[in-house]
Order: sequence, then structure tokens, then C-alpha cells
Amino acid sequence: MSEPGNPGFHQLSVTIECAHLKSSGGFLKPNPYVELAIDDKAPRKTEVVKCTIQPKWNEEFTVLVTPHSLLHYRVLDHNSFRKDSILGEKRICLYDILHMCNGRCEYLEITLDLYRGSPADSQNVAAVKVGELITLMHGLRIDMGFVNAPTAVQPSLPSTRLGDTVSRNSGSCSTNGEAGGVRGGLNGVRFRIRPHGNGSNIPNGSSQAPVRQVPGAHSHPITHADLSTLAARAAAAVAAASQMSQEQAQAQAVTHPHHPVNGAGAVHPPEHPAEGESNASPSTSAATMPNGVAPVGAGATGPCVDVEARVPGSTATVEEPLPAGWEMRYDVYGRRYYVDHNTRSTSWERPQPLPPGWEIRRDQRGRIYYVDHNTRTTTWQRPSTERLQHYQHWQGQRDHVMTQGNQRFLYPQNPTTPHADLTAIAEEEDALGPLPEGWEKRVGPEGRPYFCNHKNRVTQWEDPRTQGEEMGADEPPLPAGWEIRLTEDHVRYFVDHNKKTTTFQDPRPGAPKGMPVGAYGVPRAYERSFRWKISQFRYLCQNNAFPSHIKISVARQTLFEDSYHQIMRLPPYELRKRLYIIFRGEEGLDYGGVSREWFFMLSHEVLNPMYCLFEYANKSNYSLQINPASYVNPDHLLYFKFIGRFIAMALYHGRFIYSGFTMPFYKRMLNKQLIMKDIESIDPEFYNSLVWIRDNNIDECGLELYFSVDFEVLGQVMHHELKENGDKVRVCEENKEEYMRLMTEWRMTRGIEDQTNYFLQGFDEVVPLVWLKYFDERELELMLCGMQEVDVDDWQRNTIYRHYTRSSKQVVWFWQFVRQTDNEKRARLLQFVTGTCRVPVGGFAELMGSNGPQRFCIEKVGKDTWLPRSHTCFNRLDLPPYKSYEQLVEKLIYAIEETEGFGQE
Amino acid sequence: MPCQPPRGLCVPFPKLLCLTVIQTTGRLAYRHLLEWARRARLELVDIRVTGPKAFRDVQVDESNMLLWHGFIVPDNPPYNKGAFRIEINFPAEYPFKPPKIHFKTKIYHPNIDEKGQVCLPIISAENWKPATKTDQVIQALVALVNDPEPEHPLRADLAEEYIKDRKKFMKNAEEFTKKHSERRPPE
Repeated sequence: MSEPGNPGFHQLSVTIECAHLKSSGGFLKPNPYVELAIDDKAPRKTEVVKCTIQPKWNEEFTVLVTPHSLLHYRVLDHNSFRKDSILGEKRICLYDILHMCNGRCEYLEITLDLYRGSPADSQNVAAVKVGELITLMHGLRIDMGFVNAPTAVQPSLPSTRLGDTVSRNSGSCSTNGEAGGVRGGLNGVRFRIRPHGNGSNIPNGSSQAPVRQVPGAHSHPITHADLSTLAARAAAAVAAASQMSQEQAQAQAVTHPHHPVNGAGAVHPPEHPAEGESNASPSTSAATMPNGVAPVGAGATGPCVDVEARVPGSTATVEEPLPAGWEMRYDVYGRRYYVDHNTRSTSWERPQPLPPGWEIRRDQRGRIYYVDHNTRTTTWQRPSTERLQHYQHWQGQRDHVMTQGNQRFLYPQNPTTPHADLTAIAEEEDALGPLPEGWEKRVGPEGRPYFCNHKNRVTQWEDPRTQGEEMGADEPPLPAGWEIRLTEDHVRYFVDHNKKTTTFQDPRPGAPKGMPVGAYGVPRAYERSFRWKISQFRYLCQNNAFPSHIKISVARQTLFEDSYHQIMRLPPYELRKRLYIIFRGEEGLDYGGVSREWFFMLSHEVLNPMYCLFEYANKSNYSLQINPASYVNPDHLLYFKFIGRFIAMALYHGRFIYSGFTMPFYKRMLNKQLIMKDIESIDPEFYNSLVWIRDNNIDECGLELYFSVDFEVLGQVMHHELKENGDKVRVCEENKEEYMRLMTEWRMTRGIEDQTNYFLQGFDEVVPLVWLKYFDERELELMLCGMQEVDVDDWQRNTIYRHYTRSSKQVVWFWQFVRQTDNEKRARLLQFVTGTCRVPVGGFAELMGSNGPQRFCIEKVGKDTWLPRSHTCFNRLDLPPYKSYEQLVEKLIYAIEETEGFGQE
Repeated sequence: MPCQPPRGLCVPFPKLLCLTVIQTTGRLAYRHLLEWARRARLELVDIRVTGPKAFRDVQVDESNMLLWHGFIVPDNPPYNKGAFRIEINFPAEYPFKPPKIHFKTKIYHPNIDEKGQVCLPIISAENWKPATKTDQVIQALVALVNDPEPEHPLRADLAEEYIKDRKKFMKNAEEFTKKHSERRPPE
């Protein structure tokens, strides 16, 4: 449906079929071809047909028109030696056609009288008629209520006069009901609606029956109770049997089986709304049935039906016709579905016509894609109005994106000293099992073992099997020139190569002296510090850097494609080279600033909803997750691989991306087991139902649950068995643990397994996933998105309290803590409560919850022995009434630093 | 019912998850289709047999077991002169997610807005329990229609009128009902 008042272009399919030219009397027949020029655009040409006065072209052009476009048809005689000469021509104004057919150009056969002699104005008596051109217009529907009649803007154009005449004429015809007035089509334009498809099996077929019209192009959602389902199904059966075209089938099924509401070419102006309305009830439509007869076998002239515009009223409950090439069918269970013969695909969802300015095309591999002439972009996804709005909104954010990017920070990347490891694990090898795929253990010249990965060409001292594990955690870097060795008794000592001395004393500042120590004598607190973890990660990155640099040159307009092609063309390990990013046409040497912008902009771009690759977790959670519907994009898996590489590059090069992923997604990157609680942040409703099942005796309440589950993607309902024969296994108290486990697993992976694997594969090619093991999922988010300076005043101003007041002791302490602590703790506290460390663009006032805006909330819950809990979907912190400031700080820090499991207590 | 499962290119089989359906023969696919929306099917039988009297003429779209239509026939004035068509939409994940209810007939009611949306606590995200049955939902809905709750209005103007000028409200609602509501289906 066209947008009201949209000044944009509409798509129209024009088929130039054939012409009947008068013989010129000469003995040489012409070589005719047709040029169709629309407004001032370059003309489209047909092939040349040699030596005939009855040329047939049957060429279809898809053109962009406005309701006021001027169509100029010229039939030319091709001549190899001289300039091609005009055989005949005709100008028509689209508005006239639209006006006469009430905005619906569908299967509209137009016969044009061709004239020779300039001007090509049919009114010009001097012009000589030289033949006829037959052309078919299709695929355009405009609500004429929103189109202004042509004004005197183009008085010089002859067709305007034609338009006036015709509309006057059609006006009279609607009152006197004279079909000939239309058919005759004054001024050398005649048109009629061509029935499409072969409807020869339709009962009730009679010749030359008038076809009733649908006034206006209203789209009413069908209300199935309006009609007897039986009738609809019967109609569908007929439709399927006779292979009728989609529109008839649909119209029949939707309205009444005997009414091929073939709305195109409604000639009358919609002047009788009252009548139309009264006709809308089923009872009247039954009465009018004898009139509405299928357009079959219309006389000797072939399957054509003349348009007669007598009765403006008809049923109001008519759906939009399907786009070209679509058909509606019923499966054997009576469910309606839609077949797209263009793409040879099916869908449960009714397709919407393309928005103005869009076109459907096919690439060399025969795949369908959509061109947006408004923005000169393409996409695999069929556009809808909603999607376009979303897209515009997304693009509109671009300007804000970089301002956000400049506010992010992490710790300064201090170059760490080399030598940061230990070799004590050498003998534990057998217990650890084989190395992960691609890894090999080698021994360096000094007899020190190291590990190398042939897949992504990295080497490291750490054993990938134990990397990042707390017990086998690595230590902070040693000073330059130092090394750790072990005595024969496995007591470690330190070698200072600078002075060529050895010592048992750890040379590192802040080394353990009476503090609680971890597995290797490093303070536990230090081992767990985020700063330390980052330095470990950076150290690995530096040690596996490649010399020289790679250039990536992109245009801002085609950021995604350019980046995609260049990144996928390179061997993945080369992406660890220094980056040199060039925005084409812009000056600026990349000393870091340009690539920082590139990461930020591209990350914003790949999340663009138009690509359908990622989606927001839910209404309240703006973190991203893989979209199960991404398969509408046939190359989606390659894109996910690309994004995996890209995200790895961001981590490797220490750049931030625009928007983070959901916590469960980070956990998946870390290969952590997903638990039921993880569902809460992405689908609170689903989670609550699972909790209810866990907490209640389900044997007594007739849940009718089995080990199977339904799920919907793009309108398709999919049925999935959670285990073999799950459809037959009823869920009961005894097996509900298993059920919840399987449901959790399924809910977190449904529809996205392949995509996730490609993402991880792409990531691992650049940065081994084991390098992430130092971090937990929250730290990973901080690494990727950076921290933001948190405006504590804004935060406090926009916080609400339940069972506490603004001046409660605990509340005062809470804010005291927030103000005193550092940015990292603040970010993590925020992350703990809201699920992300990022503050909405509009500040804390715009924090969203599952039911729209949801302010940060502190609620008094539990006893002082409890830990604080959080409800990320409601941005709520359950803060027990602690007895002292110290107690509150201790519990709060414990809660936000400890990530696993505690939240469920 | 025909026993042949749909085959061939142009049949809308689930593409992604339901691999068993795609990969195996038609018999399995047919079995799966029967399992589809099981809970909603069972509840439909219950509702038709023992459902509340104030909910009548329950129709299920044959093409979609998850979409029901029916008439609410309230007992209390000013709504007791007409019937109100509603649509119940079950999500695919039902009963993990609550059904959605829409009024298709216009109604003058503080808790039902012009678009037919109704705010019913029993099916809200916070209160939903997978054990809640559709007939309980209907009962709650009928109760709400019969006795509006102006304290939690969707249409503040009507709620105000209801509280401040009950007479006027009743008159308006009755006229509105006469004009817009449907004929009450026989018992």
C-alpha cells in the first residue's frame, strides 16, 4: 500500500507487448522497436524486431513513476545506416490512467493509438494515426484520495488536456454507467483489465459478465469469523485445482467464493461510500452474488473482460492483493500459507507490497534481493514499513554514535614487560588430557616449554588447557629480564638475567608477604583484579603481533560491504597486524583515531536491523543477541564469521564497539554452561514460567506439558522435540528437572546454533578463544564496550525506593559507596543491576524495563546476612537492611565481583 | 482428514529447528503437526464443553489453532443488551507465555481502550502462570466487563465519568452498546 501523501516513487511494471502498424505502402517493412521514456529519465528500449508491421516484443520493464509521471511511448524504425526514424508515438499521463482505474494498475491492458507528426498529441487533428501499441501495466496501487489532481503546473503538456477530458468523461460515465465511455477511452487510449491466469475450471463462468469493483484500496484485516471457513476452504480448493492466479484465489477465499474481486481498473470515482458500506455485510453480498461472476472465457476475443464501472459498492473486507508472483494456498490441514513463485519460497505470513521506491531483483545466482532506489541500497530482506522506520531510526543515530564512542574508556594499555608466566604445570600435562585442536606443545631453546596454535598462528607460554583458571592462574608480569624457574623439588625461584643472580624472593612489588595467596603465591586479590587480567591478555596480544600493517580502505556509505570484503579476503592471523584504516575521500592518517572510529561505526552498522543479523534481547534489554531469523539473509553465516573476526580484532587492538551483547552470549564465548537464571535477562516471561514450574507441584494442575515445544520465527511455527519421542513423554514432578534443563538449553540456543558457531569460529581464527578465559562475561563486556563516566548525580536523581526512603541509612550508605568507589566498580554495579554497564543516551531517566521506562530501584529485602540480589529486567537492586556501612560495602562488592550463581540465592 | 502430508518445494515447512521434520519422511512430519499447539487444542475442548456461559460461540480459525474467536455476553447493565466479539491469540510458546485478548467489538468501558486492548492482570507478564487456564482468563475478563475497575483504567476519561457521574456513564454506555455491539448468540 502506498504511503499517504508520499511524494516518492512507485514501482510499475510495464510490458510492451506488440504493435499493429499500418503498412506504409513501401515495399520495405520497418524494423520496429519501442522506446519508453518516463518523465525526463533515460528511455528504456525493447529489442528490435526485424522487418515486420506486426512486431511482438513482450518485454517487461520495471519503472519508477510518480502518480503524475508522463509516459512517452515511441515506436522507432531501426536503421543501420541512418538515424532511426519515428514510426509513431504517444504520450500519456499516468494520472489519467490512475484516475480512471481508481488508483489500481493491475493487469491493465492499454491500447494506444500511435500517431505520427509532431506534436504527438492525440488532440492534434493534423496527427495521423499510424497504428496501435499494446502494453500491459501491472503492480501499481495508489490510494487516489492522497493524490492531487494535476494542477496547472504543466499546462504546456498536451497530456494535461487529455487528462482533463478523460476525467470529465469518466465522471460522466460513472453516472450514466456507460461502459463504452471507458472502453472507448477517448483520445486514443483504451484499456481493459486482463484476467490473469487461466480460470477455466471456475464454476459459474460466463462470458462478458461484468466484474464488480472494489472501491478504494482499503486494506482491512480479515476477520475470519466474517465468513464461513468452509466456503473459504472450498474456494481454496478450487484455487489450487485450477491454478488460478494468486489474486483471484485470494479474493475468492477471502470474500466470497463467487466473487473474483478484481479490483484493478475500477473506473468510477469513489463517490458512494454509503452504498459501499451497506454492501459490506455478508447478507447483501449474498444478494449480489449473481452479478459477480468469474471472468472466464470472455467471448471470442480471448480471456479478456471488459471493465464496466457501474456499481461502486462491494464488500469492504478485502485484503490487499498479493504482490506479483505470490499465491495463497492452503495446506492439507487447512492452514493458509503463501507461495512466492519469485523466490520459490513459502511463508505463513502474508506478504506486504513493496514500499514506494523499492524494487525486487534477482542476482546472478538467481537469488532475490530488494533495491531501494530512494537510498540506492540493497537488502535481502523484504522491506516493510515498520522495518523501514526502524532502519531510519537506526541511521539517524549515526551522528550520536561517535560522541558515545569518545566517552568510553578502560585502563590505559600499559605495555607490559615480557616474561609473565611459569612452567610449573609441565608435569601436570597428562592429567589435563590432550591439547585443544590446533595446538602443539614445543620446547624453546632454554628448555622452556611453550604452546603454539597452527590454526591462528599464535604462540604462548600458557597452557591453553588451564589458561585463565583460577587455580592455574598466571601471575602478574615479572620485571624485565626476570624469569621463574623451578628447582628439582618443584620449589620455584627467580632468575635475574640482568644481574645473573637467582633468588627465592619474588621481585614483584606487592608480592605476597603474609597476604592470602593463590595457587602460585600471588595474592588472590591481585589475581582477580580486572586490571591484572587485562595486562595478561594484552601481553598475549603483543607477543603474537605480526610485523608491518594492513590497510583497510572503506567508504562511509558502504562501510559494511567494504569492510566485509577486505577482512574476509585476508588470512585471519594477518588481522593482528597493525591496522591502517582509510575512510575513502577523507584525509587523516590513522594513528589510532581513525581505526577507533572504524570499529565503533562498523559495529553500529553490522547491528543494523536491516541486515537482520542481530536483535535486541527484548524490549527492556538493549543488549544484542543473534537473530534466529537471520537466515532470511542467505549469506548470514559468512557474515557471522566476519563479525566474529571483527569482534576479535576489537579486543585484540583494544578498541570499543558501539553496543554490547547479552550476558548469555558472552558466556557462550567463554564456553560457560548456561543456567536457567540466564534466561531472565533475555526473556523474563519465559523465565518466570520456568521458575513457576520449578517451584510448584506440577502433577496437580494439568499443565499438559510434554518434552516438546513450539516456537515461532517469521510467522512460522516450529515444533521441536526436546528429546527423542518427547512428544510422548509427559512432564511430571519426577522428570521436571530434566525438562527444565532441556528447556533452558533449547531456549538459549534455539535457532542460533549455526550462527553462533560461525561467529566463534571467526573469532578464534584471529584471537584464540582460550585467551578470554581470564575474564568472566561481565569483564568481557567491559573490555568490548569500555566504561563510561557515570553521572552519579543523574543516577541518584532518577532512583526510586521501595520499603526504603531517600533518607534511610542503607540508602545513604549506598550512595556514599557509589560516590567513593572508582569507575570500574560503578560500572559493574550498574551492570549487576541493569544487565549492562552502559547508560542510556538520555541518562538514567531513560532506563528501560520490561514494561517500558523503569527507573533504577532499590528495594529493602531480606536480612542483613543475605547478599544483595538484582532483577535486571526491572532494574531493581534488592538491598538487605545491613547494619553498618562496612557491611554494606563488603556484601555489595562481593555480589558484583562474584558472578556465578549467587544471584539466585 | 487427508493423510498425505504436504510435500515438495512450495510447502511451508519449518526451516530451522525442526530438522526432524525436514529430514525424515512424511509420517513423522504428520505426527508433529498433530502435536502442534497441543495445550490450546485441549483447552478448546474443555471450553466448548464446560466453559463459562458468558463466553459463547467459540470459533477457532481452522488455519490457526492458536487464534480463537468468541462472544462475551455480559450479565450486568449497561452491557447486558449486547454481545462483544473478542479474539484470543495464543503465542507459539503457550503456556510459557500468556495469551493475548483483543476486543473486536467496540465497547464503552474504562478498562478497554479504543483499539480493543484490555488490561487483565491474570495474563500480565508479572502474574502469568503456566497453569492458568483459558477458562479462568475468560472468567476474569467477564468479571471485569461486568464490573469495571475504574482504579486501574485504560481510558481515564471513562473512569472519571464512571466514578463521578454514574448515571451519565450508564446512559452513554447503554447507547454505545446499542449502536455498536453484536446480537447475542442463542444459549
